[in-house]
Amino acid sequence: MGSEKKPEKFVVSIGPQHPALKEPGHFEFGVEGEVVTSATARLGFVHRGMEKGTESRTWVQNLYLMERVCGICSHVHAMAYAQGVEKLANVQVPPRAAAIRELIAELERIHSHLLWLGVAAHEGGFDTLFMYSWRDRETVMDLLEAITGNRVNYSANVLGGVKIDIDEAKSAALLKGMDFLEKRTQHYMRVVTEDETFLGRTRRIGTMSPELALRLGSVGPTGRASGVPYDVRVDAPYAAYNEFPVKVVTDTAGDLEARFVVRIKELYESFRVIRELVDHMAAGELTTRIPRRMPEGEVVSRVEAPRGELFYFLKSNGSDMPERIKVRTPSLCNWGSILATAVGHKLADMPMILAGIDPCFSCNDRMVLVNRGNNLSTWSWEDLRQHGIEYYK
Amino acid sequence: MNISINPIVSLLIFPGGLVLLLSGLAYEFVDRKLVARFQNRIGPRWFQPLADLIKLLAKEEIMPTGVVKGLFIFLPIVAVTAILTAALYVPMFGFKPAFSFSGDLVVTVYLLSLMTLCTGLAGANTEDRFSLMGATRALTQMFSYEAPFLLALLGPAIALGTWNIGQINSAAGHNLWFILAQPFGFIAAVIGLMGKLELPPFDAPEAETEIVAGALTEYSGRGLALFHLGRDIELVIGLTLISSFYLGGLGSPLDFLWKTLILLLVTAGLQSLFARLRIDQTVGLWWRVGSIVVLLQLLAIIIGKVVGPLIPFLARG
Repeated sequence: MGSEKKPEKFVVSIGPQHPALKEPGHFEFGVEGEVVTSATARLGFVHRGMEKGTESRTWVQNLYLMERVCGICSHVHAMAYAQGVEKLANVQVPPRAAAIRELIAELERIHSHLLWLGVAAHEGGFDTLFMYSWRDRETVMDLLEAITGNRVNYSANVLGGVKIDIDEAKSAALLKGMDFLEKRTQHYMRVVTEDETFLGRTRRIGTMSPELALRLGSVGPTGRASGVPYDVRVDAPYAAYNEFPVKVVTDTAGDLEARFVVRIKELYESFRVIRELVDHMAAGELTTRIPRRMPEGEVVSRVEAPRGELFYFLKSNGSDMPERIKVRTPSLCNWGSILATAVGHKLADMPMILAGIDPCFSCNDRMVLVNRGNNLSTWSWEDLRQHGIEYYK
Repeated sequence: MNISINPIVSLLIFPGGLVLLLSGLAYEFVDRKLVARFQNRIGPRWFQPLADLIKLLAKEEIMPTGVVKGLFIFLPIVAVTAILTAALYVPMFGFKPAFSFSGDLVVTVYLLSLMTLCTGLAGANTEDRFSLMGATRALTQMFSYEAPFLLALLGPAIALGTWNIGQINSAAGHNLWFILAQPFGFIAAVIGLMGKLELPPFDAPEAETEIVAGALTEYSGRGLALFHLGRDIELVIGLTLISSFYLGGLGSPLDFLWKTLILLLVTAGLQSLFARLRIDQTVGLWWRVGSIVVLLQLLAIIIGKVVGPLIPFLARG
């Protein structure tokens, strides 16, 4: 125990390879005994250069690429991109297409939240809940596969509409699936709010006040669990969220338990809105025509991903390829909340606090240049390229 | 069942060595399968624990830098040896203990905790942070459950007036089952066994999402295989001990089988019911609830022993 002789800090580093993290990130927790005294995060292990990649593909090809930014919330990425391009081209998608986009987005939210429920339970050592919630998640995965043909990258969107339609049989399957999932979700709600051992791991752990959440810019269920009533679906409705609105779910506690409760209540909202969509979806066309070259201009497109606000910036120079696409995913906004709430908790709470924001590593990774001194400098494209060659040599 | 077995046979084959190893693997399989079924999984095939063991034994053992070599090699051996020795004083498979002397209960409990001690030392021996954290947690947990576990086993011993496991076993069969007479002791013993074996929800010392594999993170190959084997055998011995004390004694192999398997069913259920306890929660649970309940029960037993014989005397006036 060499580190105990010297009074230096005992640092437990988690990641980039660690059983708690299925995706690579690096966290260093300074601990005294079991109590965490400092926390730092380092990202950038799965930076894929996709934003740069979009600049050498056409607008149509990019739809395929943007769908693959994230493996869990693939549809919202494609939807955000498609919406931005449609805004650039000044094209309105038909109402049925908008409704189907919302339907798939909500199904995706169910799958993402159930996945998160299992992962978070596993981080807390509650493998039974993990296994059961993932078993029930298969219901929604099967529904997505039946509707779109794919379990993960649904590729339901095209520029100017959607590819797939919902027929009678699929509607019936959807309603049946929602009934089953609602029953199961009610059970999970009871588990996370009544199970004593589980509450011991979630109640008053990682508490974030509304002020702190606002200051750190937390988005999505993480922010809403701290009482920040912000949801793009309500504040800036897109797709068919005007005709088929959802309610904002918030909680005041701000701890891990509240994050569980908020996400599960959002599932109820999703079930409700999916039933409405299936019953009252407008009939009609699925696509409209859209030009191949986009007029010059800049647009911002925002959607509510399962993890929070997803932000797209698109800039066109009038050609068939974009000038610049900027993606800001919700996980990037929420990292700060981990580092702010970690200190003072036990090391054993760290995996659950980490999982509490539902982090998604690959979609938020970007190149970070940390300047330890004061020599701030600008890197040219040539410098970056040289750095890349040196780094991977 | 009183069959006298040649000491060499009882040491190496039955009920000592080989059969004990295999039964450890069999019980690990049953445990894993039960937990898997409770969790809606398929679970392992029947030979999976044996296959794991053979595979680990065949693998290269990597010695990390900065360890004391002798300790690194010897700790797993000491752990398994201690567990195998403990089995000799316990009525394994319903047979009379191979060896016994008055007071072997204390020795057996001590030998059983040697396993945790070796795990803790093995973790402290390496420089890895996860191992160090795991070792700290394993030893902390040991200090929290050890006293209540011992007290829980002492309950029947004090009630029967002997500290010899074999005598307790045969006497328990003639009395009211101690699970009814001393229910709190039974609960403390079962939960203490789960803490000893670091089964969920008491698996904080090896919580994979926090500290990878805890104290054994740096172990691979033979050492890891031996530690796993030791834990499997400890499971069988622990189940045997508790069922012989609290479930009316083990008179025959059939008794052994159904009583230990029912106990295993209970522990498997408990394993899948709860979220993992933090180490501070474990310590709090044991010292705030466990020890006090067991101590109160012990007090009741002692008072009963003192007052009990007086009752007819007092009644006569």
